[in-house]
Parts: sequence; C-alpha cells; structure tokens
Amino acid sequence: MTATLEVKDLHASVEGKEILKGVNLTIRQGEVHALMGPNGSGKSTLGYVIAGHPHYEVTGGDILFNGESILDLAPDERAKLGIFLAFQYPVAIPGVSFANFLRAAVSSVRGYKDRAKEEMARTGQLREVGSELMPMREFRQELFEKMDRYNVDRAFARRYLNDGFSGGEKKRGEVLQMAMLEPKIAILDESDSGLDIDALRVVSDGINKLVAGGMGALLITHYQRILDYVKPEKVSVFYDGRVVLTGGPEVAEMLEEKGYGWIENHLAELAASPAQQ
Amino acid sequence: MTTKTMTKDKISVAAVRRLSKRYNEPEWLRFARLMAWETFESLPWPTYKEETWRRTRLTGFKLEDYRLPAVDAALLPSRGALPEHLQQELAQIDSAGVLILQDGALIYRELDAALAQKGVIFTDLRGALAENVELVQVHLSALVRARENKFAALHYALWQNGAFLYVPRNVAIEKPLQVLIVQGEGLAGFHHSLLVGEENSEAVVVEDFVGSRQGMSDSVAEVFVHQSARMHYLRLQNLDKTAWNFATQRASVGRNALYRQLQASWGGKLSKVWIDLEMDEPGGHGELLGLYFPRDRQHLDHHTNQNHKEPRCTSDLLFKGALEDHARSVYQGMIHVMHGAQRTDAYQKNDNLILSDHARADSIPGLEIEADDVRCTHGATSAKVPEEYIFYLMARGLSRQTAKRMIVQGFFEEVINRVPVPGVRAKLETEIAHRVGIE
Repeated sequence: MTATLEVKDLHASVEGKEILKGVNLTIRQGEVHALMGPNGSGKSTLGYVIAGHPHYEVTGGDILFNGESILDLAPDERAKLGIFLAFQYPVAIPGVSFANFLRAAVSSVRGYKDRAKEEMARTGQLREVGSELMPMREFRQELFEKMDRYNVDRAFARRYLNDGFSGGEKKRGEVLQMAMLEPKIAILDESDSGLDIDALRVVSDGINKLVAGGMGALLITHYQRILDYVKPEKVSVFYDGRVVLTGGPEVAEMLEEKGYGWIENHLAELAASPAQQ
Repeated sequence: MTTKTMTKDKISVAAVRRLSKRYNEPEWLRFARLMAWETFESLPWPTYKEETWRRTRLTGFKLEDYRLPAVDAALLPSRGALPEHLQQELAQIDSAGVLILQDGALIYRELDAALAQKGVIFTDLRGALAENVELVQVHLSALVRARENKFAALHYALWQNGAFLYVPRNVAIEKPLQVLIVQGEGLAGFHHSLLVGEENSEAVVVEDFVGSRQGMSDSVAEVFVHQSARMHYLRLQNLDKTAWNFATQRASVGRNALYRQLQASWGGKLSKVWIDLEMDEPGGHGELLGLYFPRDRQHLDHHTNQNHKEPRCTSDLLFKGALEDHARSVYQGMIHVMHGAQRTDAYQKNDNLILSDHARADSIPGLEIEADDVRCTHGATSAKVPEEYIFYLMARGLSRQTAKRMIVQGFFEEVINRVPVPGVRAKLETEIAHRVGIE
C-alpha cells in the first residue's frame, strides 16, 4: 500500500499567533513534492507541526497518515509510523555518539524495543540489558554500508551528534539518519541551505536514492537550486501560512523567472481559484 | 560471614583512649589522637556564618546518634569466603590489588606478588603502622591537619583504619588497586587514605565507600605525588542515602608530576566534601573531576581549592552534576595563584543539569590571583534539559524517557571519558542510567 500524508485545512499557532492559516497538501510515497515560499511564510512551522513539535498548537484542521489522524500522537509515535523530519538546524547533543543514538532510534522505529517489552510482559522475566536494541553486529554492518552508499565518512559514527559538525556535515547526517530509519514520508526542511555545490550534490543524491527506494519527500525550500538535482513531480507555493498554488515543475520555473513578488501581486486571483491538489 | 556481637561505643574522649589502647598504639599516636580530640572540642560547630557552610546546614546531625564499632571482624582467606555482593563488586574491575575494610577491620587483602617484590606496600593503615611505622609517621597528617576543620579534628581523634599505598621510585603499577570500604548501620566510620607515589612511579587507586545506613562517615585522604610520578585516585562515594558524609581530601603534586582525581558522589543524606589540590613544585599537572547526581532530598556539597604556589603548573577542574526531585547541590571552588606562581594555567568549570522544578544547584566559582603572568579561566552553568534536544530525539523515534536518559548520559560523558579505568566508567554509566530511569 502506498502511504499518504494529507494535510487538511491545517491551522496552527505559537504563543497565540497564528502561523498556519488553512494548509492543504498531500504527499505520497515515492513522490517528490516541493514546497516553495519566501522566508517567514511558515514553511518550517508546517514541518514541525507534522512532526509533532509541542511548542505549536493545532487550532483547526487535521493531519492524516493513511487516512488516520496523527494529531494525538507524540513525535516518537509519528516517527514509528514512518514520518521523518530532516531539520533545517539539527541540534548538537554533546556526549551522545552518532552511532549510539542511531542504534537506539533504529531499534525503536523497527520495533525491537516494543518486542522486548512485550516479551517481558509475556514471560514476566526481566529482560537482558541491550535486548531492546538491534544487535550490534547487524547494526554496524548496515550503518557502514549506508555510510558508504550515502557518502558519509565512517568517522561520523564515533562523533557526538552534530557537535562541532559543519553545516554540510549536519545535512549529510540527516540524510544518513533518514537512510537508516527508512521513513515512508520525509519532510526535508531547507536541506539545501548553507551547502556548497559538492555537499548539495551528495545530499541531493541521497534524497534521490531514497525516493527511488519508495520514500515520499516534501522538499521545503526557498530556492530553485536544489530542484536542479532533485526533480519534483509537484510544486506547491506557500505564502502567508497557506498553499496558494500547486502545479507541476513548471511552477518552480515560473517562480524562478518572476520571483515571489509575482505571487504577492496575484494573491487575489490565486485565492479565487483555490490551489489544486 | 559471621560477625561477632559488638559492644558499641559512644563517641567521647574515653573512646579515644580505649581505641588507642585496644590497638596498643605508640605513644606519639595516642598523643596525636588526644590532641585532635582537644582540637575537636575547641572548634565550634559550623554555622552559616562561615563561608564554606553558608549553603549547607547540619540541622538534624547529632554526633551522639552514632556508635563506634567495638570488635574487629576477621580477615578472610580468599575471595570465595567473601559475601556474594562483595565478590561481584570486585569482579567489575581487573585489579592488581584489593583491600576490603569493614568498619575499620581489614577483612580481605590481595596484592600481585610481583608488585610486593618490587617494594610496593598496599595494606590497611593498621598493618602499615605495624610494619612500616616510619613511613606512616612521616606522612600521616602531613597534608590534612586536625585543626583544618571540626570534622578533620574528629577524624584524627577516632580514625580506625584506612588504606595505605606506597609505590617506590620508578615502579609503575599498570592495573588499578581497589579499596572497598563497607560501613555498618548506625555506626560512625573514620577511614583514612594515605597514598604515596615516589619519584617517577605510577598508580591508579579506586576507592569505593558503601553502606553506612543511618550512619556517618568522616574520612580524610592524603595523597603525595612526588616528582614525575603519575597518580590517579578515583573515589566513589556510594553510601546509603540516609548517611551523613564528611570528607577532607588533599593532594600534593610534585615537580612535573601528574595527578588526577575523580570524586563521584551518589549517596548521603548530606555530604560535605573538601578537595584541595596543592601544586607544590614547578611543572606539575593536576586534574580534579567531579560527578554528582542527588535525588529525593539529598544535599551534596563540594568545596574545592586549586592552590598554585610554584611556576609552570597546570590544573584543570571539571565538576558536573545532575539533580532530580528536591535535591540540592553546592559547588564552591577557588583557584589561588600565589605570588611567584608565574605561567600558571588553571581551569575550573562546574556544569549543572536540573531535571526537576524543585531541585536547586548553587555554584560559586572563584579566582584569586597574585601573579601577573598566568592564564586562569573559570565558569559555571546551570540549565534544564533543552526541549529542543528532546524533540529532536523523539522525532527520530526515541521515547521521551530514552531521549532524556541519552541527554543526561551525554552530559556526564565529558567527565566519564577522562576516567582511566573501564570498569569504573561502566559502573558510573550504570549508576547514571539507573538514576535517570530505564524504561
């Protein structure tokens, strides 16, 4: 079954200020959907709300994953369903190694932990330390394979999570996490920002491989640039807390040519013909 | 193990005399004890008016609540004769020697024969007093004096036993030496650690304090690190959470010597620990590492001094604490750079991670500099677990609890990384995981 993430008339606010003002959007597995818009339009907020950030309050509408609302789910439960948010600014967590963190994450998402808990409940016996984790040997093998495949230095494994990482390293790290967690739908928040051309190639290449493997991607971006490397099936334009226009790749080309100013000048017309899904 | 019934003893000057008589101590020692008792009596009980006691109150502490152990338990012939839990404790560290002291009595001892052959002395303080009295006499109370504070005075009046290590010149002990101090319920324990590393020697000592339910511990540690010697001293305070703990520790670091100390504080209802680093000769390097994680209503207080008296010494202090529930911690530290201690490089940092709205960490770092060509840095932080960290980890599928545990473990990693014994690192990590809570 092809997984679908539907955002329906979504309203969300932070500290009483409405940021999302009725967002409609559908993302399907195996498809790249670019979401373009000016800075401050609320694109990143949409990513956070889909991932379940507690700071934002959903005041209306719904988010459905395969037809079921995920609004009541905690962020980790959403991750377990197969939703992934690649952060624009991944946080650095000193003292937590990339490998240890990722092993815990993969084990949780793939159900090792839940199975260990069930086993304990069933047998009434205390579980062994580490039984909630994917076996070390298997994990390392897969991690190294994917590091090679996605052009991430193996030395990453021992480094602390994003601590002292350059902008490019952080974004590569996000791609690697995505490759390990194998989400059905990923929201990539400005994964191209702050990258030089080589890093942009590596990150784009990673996204393309994952999409080829069946992942759906919502590519949030301010610039056309990444779309030269990752070809979207759909492009939506985000403006002032909502999607104002959805079309094919030609929409991105038009934006490139005319700029966001054109959108602003044609808002009235766009509002009259609601964005097509 | 069978313990004989103990006639318990109240803490008094009569007890001091009886103790000295029971062990048939030399005159100088009996005299030193009685002098210490006089000092103890002459010093007032601490009040908040003293800077070091401003944030730590002794409310509820009554010396008369505690008894002295009266009869010594017997020395056991092998590890197999030890209780199961002590055997397990020992098995965690691959060591070159072991001492187990129960309420002042040496109940077990091991030392690698090759080391003994090289002249290494690793025994209880009473044993050292019997066999190497000069060495004890020269070092005992040379660094920590009875008049230093009321608890040091009480300690010198009543110390029952301790750990004694002497590493001769040019002898390197590769594996750690392990000391286990087991204190019984309702008792007062006075453990003395006397560690001497001669020129160009090397040793790692791990000392673990356990027990003392409804009891008190008043320990002193004196560490001599002579020229070019390397000494690591890891103290794990794992006392019961109902115990009162007082400790006065001082290390003297010689020319071009290296000294590293860890203080891990887990237990105690209230704990007051003074740790002083004396950079006594040029070119020495000293490190003080600290780790504490109080919960419930525990109150843990660490007071450190980095005293630079001679030129070209470096000292580095890192104390990290996490606090749960209604716990409190106090960290007070001072770097003193004395006149003439040029080219000193001293660092002092205290970080606190507050895990509960009701916990509180006080941090008072300080500098006093009398030399002009020095580099000194100090700092303190106190923060809650950032919600952004939690969200990031949860967005990757970790539960809130696992996310929090990873962040706390990561917080302590900076200290644990610098602990040179894998078995100790594992023990610290396990204790931290238990405190944060494993699902």
